[in-house]
Amino acid sequence: MTDNAPSLSVRNLTKTFGDKTVVSDLAFDLHPGEVLALVGENGAGKSTTKNMLCGLLLPTSGQISVAGQPVERVSPTGHGISAVHQELSLFGSLSVAENICISDLPGSAARVKWDQAEQIAREQIDFLGIEIDPRALIETLGAGKQQVVEIAKALLHADRVLILDEPTTSLTAVEREKLFAIIDKLKAGGLSIIFISHFMEEIYRVCDSFVVLRDGKQVGQGKLADVSQRTLEEMMVGRTLEDARVALGSPSQSPALEVRGLTSPDFHDVNLTVHRGEILGIAGLMGAGRTELAEAIFGLRHATGDVLIDGKPVARNVTAMKANGLCYVTEDRRTNGLFLNRPVRENLSAAAIAKYVRRAMRGIGFRGEKAKSAEMVDEMNIAIPHIENHVSDLSGGNQQKVLLGRWLSMEPEILIFDEPTKGVDIGAKFDIHEAIAELARSGKTVLIVSSDLPELLHITHRLLVMRKGRIVGEVQRENYDSVAIISMAASSGEEVSNVA
Amino acid sequence: MSRNTIRTLISRQKWIAVVLATIVLAAVLSLASPVFLTLSNFQAILVQSSVTAIMAVGMTFIILTAGIDISVGAILFLTSALFAQLMLDTENYLIAFVVTIVCATGLGALNGWLVVYFRVSPLITTLATYSIYRGAAIHLTGAQNIPVPREMGFLGNGRILGVPVPILIMATIVIIGVYMLSRTRLGVYARAIGNSERSAKETNLPVGRVTIAVYAFSGLVTGIAALILLARVGGLQSGIGIGIEFTVIAAVILGGTKLTGGSGTVIGSVIGAVFLVLIDNGLNLMNASPYIYDVVRGSVLLAAVAIDRYSAMRRHSALEAQKAARMA
Repeated sequence: MTDNAPSLSVRNLTKTFGDKTVVSDLAFDLHPGEVLALVGENGAGKSTTKNMLCGLLLPTSGQISVAGQPVERVSPTGHGISAVHQELSLFGSLSVAENICISDLPGSAARVKWDQAEQIAREQIDFLGIEIDPRALIETLGAGKQQVVEIAKALLHADRVLILDEPTTSLTAVEREKLFAIIDKLKAGGLSIIFISHFMEEIYRVCDSFVVLRDGKQVGQGKLADVSQRTLEEMMVGRTLEDARVALGSPSQSPALEVRGLTSPDFHDVNLTVHRGEILGIAGLMGAGRTELAEAIFGLRHATGDVLIDGKPVARNVTAMKANGLCYVTEDRRTNGLFLNRPVRENLSAAAIAKYVRRAMRGIGFRGEKAKSAEMVDEMNIAIPHIENHVSDLSGGNQQKVLLGRWLSMEPEILIFDEPTKGVDIGAKFDIHEAIAELARSGKTVLIVSSDLPELLHITHRLLVMRKGRIVGEVQRENYDSVAIISMAASSGEEVSNVA
Repeated sequence: MSRNTIRTLISRQKWIAVVLATIVLAAVLSLASPVFLTLSNFQAILVQSSVTAIMAVGMTFIILTAGIDISVGAILFLTSALFAQLMLDTENYLIAFVVTIVCATGLGALNGWLVVYFRVSPLITTLATYSIYRGAAIHLTGAQNIPVPREMGFLGNGRILGVPVPILIMATIVIIGVYMLSRTRLGVYARAIGNSERSAKETNLPVGRVTIAVYAFSGLVTGIAALILLARVGGLQSGIGIGIEFTVIAAVILGGTKLTGGSGTVIGSVIGAVFLVLIDNGLNLMNASPYIYDVVRGSVLLAAVAIDRYSAMRRHSALEAQKAARMA
């Protein structure tokens, strides 16, 4: 290994799932002590790239070289590359020492040397400069300390490259600063780091260089010092917003959905009003309580407070909400939304099934179900050979359209969307945005929760920003500014410390 | 010790609960019957628990990985049949012992392999092998009762230095089990996999091999239990092992091992097994109808999981309240 060989070098890296190319032709070098920002929108291919680099996925084609040596398949423990995943890979009821050392326990298989393991864990934790008892169980630690344990665990094998995937989302400001100090320290020690984050301020704080992914393609790379945040964001989003502007109608002044003093363990005293024909967005970081809020409004979650539809209080349970024309399109379509191994037809008609049954009183079966479903397939532009195809055969975007179509066939007045375009391709995204805008233009009321800020800026009339369970700001469309909104969502001004 | 300390202790170390319950039950029984507190009765209870306790050691590892093996009773029966038949045919102890133990391990390993390979729920997989193993045993022996040689009785009723042999074997296996769980990679990996299979895969742990190994280990100890059982009852009977999977799984769950995997202890399971024998013992002292035994056992298990659920819910709502308080 020569001194100037990059720790990691990637050429023509490509991954396809079936006929869908998720990542294509990636090429970059990472030098010792360099911190590289891997940025891109949700679904741009960052996770797939990460998984190929740390050995969880085998690339379809292309080459990965570690310290100048081409590598056939990256071994999770053998090549000095480790990843800290956004969802931590820790074991809750195991101790800190067990977690850190688990992939390389000292001693033999038949006799693990726990005193040595504790020693190793203690050294790792001390090196990172955080106080943690190696004997403590993971489930008793707060999010910040768990993150540190995960890093310590990864560092046991990462002597060349450490990949950090959204490491700060569950951290308080203080913990975040500690993490940055750790990154600086590792960098000074010659470790290369790939830093995946949505937060521009963090990227500029810790990274030297960047690679931008968009729809699986590498659309930019270079030194961070040479680009402005605006340029970087535009590279991520690609099409400047003018490319695909949706026509937003003008909302009326009559409130359709009102939330008064809604409180639960996940959010506090939430008040909001959505008017007829309006699209209201709720922005915020992961863990801010947005999904919980949306679910509580629909009656899926316990909370105190009132929900009013057309000025009248409505009992917060799903039956009453549906009867009053409110529906909720879930974030997690695969587990909570769709019946994957049933035909598209049944999935489309499920919410409004009562309508078809009533019409079929004299006969058996569901009259009109087929015709209506077929109509919806056309309307939503769902690409399937036949409405009897199973939903599991569809792509993410088409699945999402089916879910949306199901609720539309109920002819709702108010729609709550949670991450409406999560994991869908760009074409489907436009279709879904257009469908949502059309709903509002025709006088429906829409509330959207999304982590995808450009999306919210794109299709909403008004934005509420949530942080740690509270609404902390309201922005009108004419004042939209992504940087200001992100800083509002992430600001640490009056942080409540929750380090366990 | 205040009530609160006991409560925290129990919530951290769940097996303490079954220890306390066992002590209370033993105290009640000793008041009810003067013979209860004698050494011989104490030994009799341990001997009676030995078969289920040994099997519970193996089952603990399986449940720790979030698995389950319904077929242990059938493995017990099939290995008993195999041993009895081999003794009948060869009259060679060495061959019979070795073949029996190897087959028991192999049957367990087959369960593990099927679970890993077909990725079907272990409940269904082992329900199927339960039927296969039991049927194979009946086929093998022609549903005959086969006596085993008299000197086999040593394993069931013999003593070494005054201690009954089944207790010695049980103690050995318990010690091995405790050691394996706390000191070997297999033990740590088993707990880790039960905690989060996703994390285990991301950490590159040998999930498949560990799964097969824990089922194989359970098969192995079930084979040993089969030898003790044969020795105690004097030969193969068609009723061997029927319903024992209930007792074994109940012992593990009573002992504080989470059915969803990840945490539990070998000691807890063993005490759970002793506790279940104590209940029988108590019902016996009360001259209860034999038909009521199953009702009581089932109710105890139900009560144990209900109490556990209830305390978990209370802990959860306490956490939620803390979270809400932090936010307000």
